[in-house]
Amino acid sequence: MATRTIGSGQVGRSVPRLEGAAKVTGRADYVHNIRLPKMLVGKIFRSTVAHGRIKSLNVSAAKALPGVYRVVTIDDIKTVIPNPFYGPAFHDQPILADGKVHFVGEPVAVVLATDPHIAEEAASLIEVDYEELPAVFDEVEAMTSKAVVHDELKPAGTFPDLKHLKGKKDTNIALDFHLRRGDPNKAFAAADHVFEHTFRSQQVLHVPLEPFVSAAELTETGLTIHTASQSPSFVRIEISRLLGWPENKVRVKVPYLGGGFGAKLYIKLEALVAALTLLVRRPVKISLTMEEQFYTLTKHAATFRIKSAVKNGKITGRDCEVWWNGGAYADIGPRITQKSGFTAPGPYDIDNVSIDSYSLYTNLTPAGALRGFGIPQLVWAYESHTDMMARALRLDPIEFRRNNILRDGRAQATGTQMKDAAVEQVLDRLALRMNWTAPFERGTGPVKKGRGIAVGFKASISPTTSIAIVNVAADGSVTLYCSTVDMGQGSDTANAQFVAEVLNVPAESVKVVHPDTDVTPYDMATLGSRSLYHMGNAVRLAAEDAKAKLSALAREVGVPEGSNVPVAELFQKKYKMQAGNIIGTGSYIPNYVPPDANGLTPEATPFWMVGGTGAEVEVDTETGHVRVTKMISVADVGRPVNPRIVETQLSGAATMQFGFTMQEKIELDGGQITNASFADYKIPSIVDIPRDMQNEAVESEQGTGPFGAKGVGESGTFGVSPAIANAIEDACGVRLTELPLTAEKVYRALREAQGRPLED
Amino acid sequence: MTPFELAEPKTLKEAVALLDADDPTIRPIAGGTALMLMMKAGVFRPSKLVSLSAIKDMSSIETVNGELKVGATTPLAVLERSDVVRKHAGVIIKTLRTLSNIRVRNVATVGGALAHADPHMDLPPVLIALGARVVVQGKSGERAIPVADLFAGYFETVLVKDELISSLIVPAQNGRRAAYLKCTTRAVHDWPALGVAVSVAADGNAIKDASIVVSAATEKPGRLVGAEKAAQGTVDDAGWRRAGEAAAEEAELITDGQGSAAYKKELVRVYVARALRAALGAQ
Repeated sequence: MATRTIGSGQVGRSVPRLEGAAKVTGRADYVHNIRLPKMLVGKIFRSTVAHGRIKSLNVSAAKALPGVYRVVTIDDIKTVIPNPFYGPAFHDQPILADGKVHFVGEPVAVVLATDPHIAEEAASLIEVDYEELPAVFDEVEAMTSKAVVHDELKPAGTFPDLKHLKGKKDTNIALDFHLRRGDPNKAFAAADHVFEHTFRSQQVLHVPLEPFVSAAELTETGLTIHTASQSPSFVRIEISRLLGWPENKVRVKVPYLGGGFGAKLYIKLEALVAALTLLVRRPVKISLTMEEQFYTLTKHAATFRIKSAVKNGKITGRDCEVWWNGGAYADIGPRITQKSGFTAPGPYDIDNVSIDSYSLYTNLTPAGALRGFGIPQLVWAYESHTDMMARALRLDPIEFRRNNILRDGRAQATGTQMKDAAVEQVLDRLALRMNWTAPFERGTGPVKKGRGIAVGFKASISPTTSIAIVNVAADGSVTLYCSTVDMGQGSDTANAQFVAEVLNVPAESVKVVHPDTDVTPYDMATLGSRSLYHMGNAVRLAAEDAKAKLSALAREVGVPEGSNVPVAELFQKKYKMQAGNIIGTGSYIPNYVPPDANGLTPEATPFWMVGGTGAEVEVDTETGHVRVTKMISVADVGRPVNPRIVETQLSGAATMQFGFTMQEKIELDGGQITNASFADYKIPSIVDIPRDMQNEAVESEQGTGPFGAKGVGESGTFGVSPAIANAIEDACGVRLTELPLTAEKVYRALREAQGRPLED
Repeated sequence: MTPFELAEPKTLKEAVALLDADDPTIRPIAGGTALMLMMKAGVFRPSKLVSLSAIKDMSSIETVNGELKVGATTPLAVLERSDVVRKHAGVIIKTLRTLSNIRVRNVATVGGALAHADPHMDLPPVLIALGARVVVQGKSGERAIPVADLFAGYFETVLVKDELISSLIVPAQNGRRAAYLKCTTRAVHDWPALGVAVSVAADGNAIKDASIVVSAATEKPGRLVGAEKAAQGTVDDAGWRRAGEAAAEEAELITDGQGSAAYKKELVRVYVARALRAALGAQ
């Protein structure tokens, strides 16, 4: 990817990652390495039933095992946290099961010991007697099922659109979002063609290679939590709320993360370790195993029914119904349902739109954000649907899209005008890189070749806040304090580049202080590709503030405007020795207007992300095996701040979604996960991914972004699934509507198409 | 994991003496690549492990009377790099390249790969197709068991709990040609959903005699005699496909996370024909 620098030459340069050397030499800090004096470790005992009332819980054998320090249940937790329910949207999740369990794997009790093996052994000695209750696992069934996951809904009160759900009973709907624009019924009545399809995305997992881990310790002034979290500020606020303490008594420290991908947001183990530490007055650490990740957070399975009216090759109406499988606790699901839900019609210019998006409780592991915040599930449906329509209408899929694409200045479904969203350029570059207009070799014998494209978009979640502090020391060296979590995406490096650009120093010389809520200021969270834009703006403002103060200092000490006197000399002149600081601060919150009763708003989002994928495949029609030979990711990331990191973010996101497209699926048997290990849950390895992977950021600028930049972490995921499914149909004429696209599914579809379905 | 006793005998006889036919919590351990996973998962809680790694003279590779003899504790990676093996039965080398990964092959042993009896393993079907046998040491002496008869079922062998495999013997192949095709369905690197091993005596493309073995999709690896008969006398793709048809009819397939029995039947049909083609080196 080409280097395009500006001004000081810091933004637009492929600065090597600031933490690169520390990581490859094993010196980087992770919570897993933390050993605190007199620390106990906790092992969680988990539910074996999907929905049940706890009739009795017998921990006596566990307690009696030599080496066990204590066995803790919810009754103990309540002595330190009387109302032990947490969550960002609903206060629905108990720190340990409280009378009922709602999914297989739900934490029921914790064994504390100094030896993790003893804790594990003791946990296996705990006995529970459940009265099993009817359970529901499917998101569409959950709409009407007699099995109800929660007795009563408990919205957190932070989001106005959830208030009407307070105290509701006999429902699994944790949010119903509705949008109406124009007159879809009229459009359908007047259409030349009406198409309707239903698509399903499966439940998958984040699998960061560092599983969840948190430790807590009491200090003289309160409580310190060391945690692998993407949202230190949220953890501090939520733990403060649970304890009834002021924020400044809770300190949350986050070093590097071994991956996050949306899993390590909000509260995961933090409330549990906090409560345990308060109970036993000793430091407590809990480190989950790989297997336990399957019982902590997943990506939403989703069903999407999409219906379109087409007249003269234009899409004139679209009706979207989306059901999100939220699992047993809401986590951030209701936000996904709305904030991503409103993009369900896709990046198309459609006057008449109706969206109904439902967040549903089921008796599965809770679902939350996963690299795309629901967008990949939506793009999977609308871009498969778009291709199916083009095929049925005998139109070239790229031309059909071009005829309908949402261009800058036109209103998206919410009524918000598109701005700085390079949908068309992404499509154009994809077509060019795919050599779309040239003849395509179809293959001979049983192996058939095909190609497909897809393009999706995402609105940045809004409104969210970031604060940053830039500190210039008396020798001129610069330190940045911010709570953005570097979980492998390179945020330290990018933020250092912003500071460096403003203050005209090398990015490599800027020190970035990691999140520590006693030290670094508030940030909403590192999620949804928001940080580069929101924190980037805050960092830029903080650096500009510092720069203005440096200029003022120069004037104060009599240095003329525009001179090149070193910063250290300015301090020397003022303080008569190497002393003092300049502190620059910046805060950023974008404009936002909440949606009206029809789901419409003129300001839905501060920026749009656009990502497209082109895929070439080979299908073995005798076995159904699909080999993706080429995968091209093209995205609008605004101005690439660090071209090399942009490239790895695009390819990393595409690779991850490739796994969700071709291989990964949580297998369930009556709510029990049957493949909770890497032996049976197959993430892609180097031999699975396409040999030819290309990545491109189109020429673009985000006008409101820091130096024209915007987020890039998720855009590579958007188009992958539909592009591959579209290529499979192009190769062998069969259409799959349910992920993942396994060989058996392709084979069965081929047999179906031959009129001789495979009989079990 | 809870504490257990670890014994490190120096001889095979001592090792056998430490085992107990009636105590399933005492088990031998060689590379430990499978056993350690079972222990970590808590499905196997040993009272005693008898390590075979200190036993001398159990990791040699040699040719004896035209037969290949491999000591049971030979690591798979050593087998993979052996010229003796390459000359004797190159298919073993090719198979090992697809077997798990180099970290596993560096420690997993030949004996362990057989005694573990997980049907999703790559070596057993190949060794059955090659007509190999194992030499087994028990308290009352030695016996030889054809690999074809070693497996009693899913994760089960005919070995008594106090017997140990001491060596593997692969007879002279006398110009027979062999191939192993591994079919995975969840990822490229995975346990096979289906393994097909064939060994043929042929004149050009004309098959005189075929040994056809399927594994992974079945409860245990085993020969398909009907398919072998159907392959006899075939000379081209149409004939090999007929053998595939016969194999698909004959194999008893199981449904699991890697695919339905109905789908695996189709895979058998295709892969048996492809394996015969591959063994013959035909296009």
